[in-house]
Amino acid sequence: MDLQLDDEQRLIQDMTRGLLKEHCPRSVVRKAEDDAKGYPAGLWKQMAEAGLTGLLIPESYGGGAQSVLEAALVYEELGRALAPTPHFVSSVLSAGILLAAGSDAQKNEWLPRIARGDAIITVAWLEPDRGYGPEGVKLAAKAEGASFVLSGTKRHVNYAGAADRLIVLARTAAGIDLLLVDPSTPGLKLTHYLSASGEPHYRIDFTGARVPQSARIGAAGSGWETFSRVLTNDGLIPLAAYAIGGAAACLEDTVEYAKVRKQFDKPLGAFQALSHYMADASTRIDGGRVLVHEAAWNRAHGRSVARFAPMAKLFATNTYQDVTRTCAQIWGGVAFTIEYDTQLFFRRAKELQLSWWDVPYLEELVAADVLDR
Amino acid sequence: MDFDFTPQEQKFADEVERWLVENHDPVVMDPTRENFTQLADTPERRAFMKKLAAKGWLGMSWPKEYGGQEIPGVYEYILNEALARHAAPQIGKGVGIIGKTLIRHGSEKLKREFLPKVLAADVEFAVGYSEPNAGSDAANMQLKADKVPGGWNLNGQKMWTTSAHFADWYWVGARTDPDKPKHDGISLFLIPMNHAGLEVQSLPTVGKDTTNQVFFKDVFVPDDYLVGKRGQGFQMISEALDLERFTMFTLSPIAERTKVLVGWARTAQRDDKPVREDRDVRRVLANIVTDTAVAKALSTRFVCAAKAGSGKPPTVESSQYKLFTTTLSQRVCDEALDLMSVAGTIREGQDEAPLRGRFEGAYRATMNETVGGGGSEIQKNIIARRHLGLPKNF
Repeated sequence: MDLQLDDEQRLIQDMTRGLLKEHCPRSVVRKAEDDAKGYPAGLWKQMAEAGLTGLLIPESYGGGAQSVLEAALVYEELGRALAPTPHFVSSVLSAGILLAAGSDAQKNEWLPRIARGDAIITVAWLEPDRGYGPEGVKLAAKAEGASFVLSGTKRHVNYAGAADRLIVLARTAAGIDLLLVDPSTPGLKLTHYLSASGEPHYRIDFTGARVPQSARIGAAGSGWETFSRVLTNDGLIPLAAYAIGGAAACLEDTVEYAKVRKQFDKPLGAFQALSHYMADASTRIDGGRVLVHEAAWNRAHGRSVARFAPMAKLFATNTYQDVTRTCAQIWGGVAFTIEYDTQLFFRRAKELQLSWWDVPYLEELVAADVLDR
Repeated sequence: MDFDFTPQEQKFADEVERWLVENHDPVVMDPTRENFTQLADTPERRAFMKKLAAKGWLGMSWPKEYGGQEIPGVYEYILNEALARHAAPQIGKGVGIIGKTLIRHGSEKLKREFLPKVLAADVEFAVGYSEPNAGSDAANMQLKADKVPGGWNLNGQKMWTTSAHFADWYWVGARTDPDKPKHDGISLFLIPMNHAGLEVQSLPTVGKDTTNQVFFKDVFVPDDYLVGKRGQGFQMISEALDLERFTMFTLSPIAERTKVLVGWARTAQRDDKPVREDRDVRRVLANIVTDTAVAKALSTRFVCAAKAGSGKPPTVESSQYKLFTTTLSQRVCDEALDLMSVAGTIREGQDEAPLRGRFEGAYRATMNETVGGGGSEIQKNIIARRHLGLPKNF
C-alpha cells in the first residue's frame, strides 16, 4: 500500500494547479457565471496547450493517453479553482463515448479536435419531468429512409451554446441510441437558462430535426449501455475528485478565516463548537480523497468500479455539500453575501450533488451491486 | 500509488489466513465479543496466544537482539486485522505498548525479566492510566508515589483497568513529582497484580466484559521497577501510543459487521416480501457500505503514513481514522436495529432474535468505542490543532 504520487502524476498536478492559479482566479470564475457560453476562451486555450483537453484520449488521436487516476488529480485541481470549462462534457464524457463505441470515421473526425480543444461536444441526455434511468429517455428518433427524425425536448444540456456537436440520447425502434447531432440542424432550438451554479444550461427542443442514420454511435439499441458504462467507469470518478477539490478549497479558506476572525476576544478557531466542525470536515475530505484515488486506481488497473465509482461520487458530493454548509456557518453573515466566495462553492456543491446521477440513483447503483448480485 | 499489499506482504497475509482457518476454534474466536476477544479470561485464549507465540508472530517488529524479526510494522497490522477478522484475540499491549517502551527506555533488568515472557505469551498485563479525575485529561493523574528508602510507596485509585482481574503485571502511571508541571511529574511503574496492597473491584459493563477500578493502599514498588527515567512517564505513554498506531484499533470487526448486516438483508423477509426490495433498506445499506469503504480508505491513509517512516508519527491520520470509524461502528449497529425493527430488541443469544441478536449485543458492546482510547472530542481537538493549525481550544 502506497498513496504517494509518482513523478509524472505530481507534475500533472503541479502543472494544473499552476495553470489555474494564473488563468482561473476567482474573478474569472465570477465573470463566467450565467454567461451563455460559460467559459473563458483564454483558460480553455491554456488547458488545450497544456494537453489537458486531450488528457484521456489515446496518443493516436493526439491525446495524452492518461488514466482516470491522472484525471482525478486534474479534476481535484479544477474543483479547487471552481474552473468553468466544458472539459467534463467534451473531453471526458463525449470523448469516452466516441472511444467506446464510435466508428473509425467518427473517432478520426472528432477525437483529435476534442484533444486539441478545437471542438466541443456535449451530451443531451435529460428531459423535463423524467428521471435519471433509461426509462427517462423519451425523445423520439423515428427512422425515415436514411434519416432519423427527432422530436422531443432535452434539458440540462451543459455548454450547448458552444458545442460543435451534441450526443443525443434518443429512443429508436431498437431502444436507446446515441446520435451525433449538429446543433445547427433545422428543427432544433437551443434556449439558455440559468442554473444554481451559474454554469450554462440549455433546453433543446427538437421539432422534426432530421439527422442521417450514420450519425448513430455504436450498434442499434446499444446507446444506454454505452452511455452508462462510460459515465460509471470514466465520468463519476473525475466528478468525485472535483467535489473533493471544491470541499478542500472551501475548508482551507474557512480555516484561515477562523484563525484571524475574533469574537469574544478569541479567534473563531479557538471555539470547540467551530473547530470540531472543521475537524469533521477535514476527516471526510481526507477520507473521501483516498476513496476517490482507490476507485481511480482500480479503474486504471482494469478492475471493476461498478461499486467504487458510484460510492466515490456519492460520498464526495455529499461531503462537498455538507462541508460548504458547515463553512458558511463558520463565516457567519458574510457567507450570505455575493461578495464573499463561500456562496460560489455552496451553490456548485448542491448542483454537482444532483447532477450526473443524484443521491438516490447512486445509492441504488451501490445497493444493486451489494444486494442483488 | 498502490492499493494492494506488496507480494511479500500478500504472502504473509495468505499464510496468516490459512493458519487461522486451520486453527479455527469457536471457543476462542467468538464474533459476538465484538473486537474484545482478547479480554476473555479463558485457558483456551491463553493456549491460542501460545500458538501465536510459537509461530513467531509476537514481537515481529522488535529488534533482533530482543527476539524480534525487525520487520516493518505493517506486518503486525496485517496480522492484527486478520486476527480481528476471524474474531481471534489480537496481539496486545504486551508486544505493543509495554514491550516497545521497555525496549526503548527500560533497564537491562526489566528487559531481561519481561521481554522473553512477552514473546512467549507467558505474561498478561493490565494498563493503569485513567483515574476518577484523569479521563480525557489523562495527564491529570494523581495516584501518589512517595519516595521511601529502596523504592516508592503508592496510594490512590485507578479507573477502567479492563484486564486487572486476570493480569499478572500492572503497568501504572503515578505522580512522583507533584511540584513539577503536570506532564513532567509522572513516572511509570511495573507492579505484580497480586500485590497485597492492590484491591481490584469489578465494574460490570453493558457489553460482555467487565472493567475494574483498582485501589492502591501502601503499595511498595522497588526502585528498579520504575520504568525509564523518573518524571518521563507521560512522554513514554504518548510515545507508545504513536509507536502502536499499526495495531491500535482494527477495522475488520466493523467491516465484518457490515457484511453480516448485508447478508441478513439479502435473505430476510418481512410481510412475505424480501427486505432487500425495500427502498429504505437499500438506501441505508448503500450508505453504510460506502462509509465502510471510507473507513477503509482512512485506515489505508494512516497505515501508509506510518509506513512512510518520515519519523513523524501519523497522529492526525490515526485520529481521523478513529473518529470516523468508531462513529460508523455505532451507526452500523443503530441502523441494523432500525432495519430489524422491534425484532432487533430481542436480547442477544436467543434463537428468537434475528442473527441470534448479534446487533442487539453489538449495539451495547460498541457504546464505548467513541469514548475509550481518546474520545471523539479529543480526536477532533488533535485534528483541529495538529492538522488544521487552529489554536488551542480548551
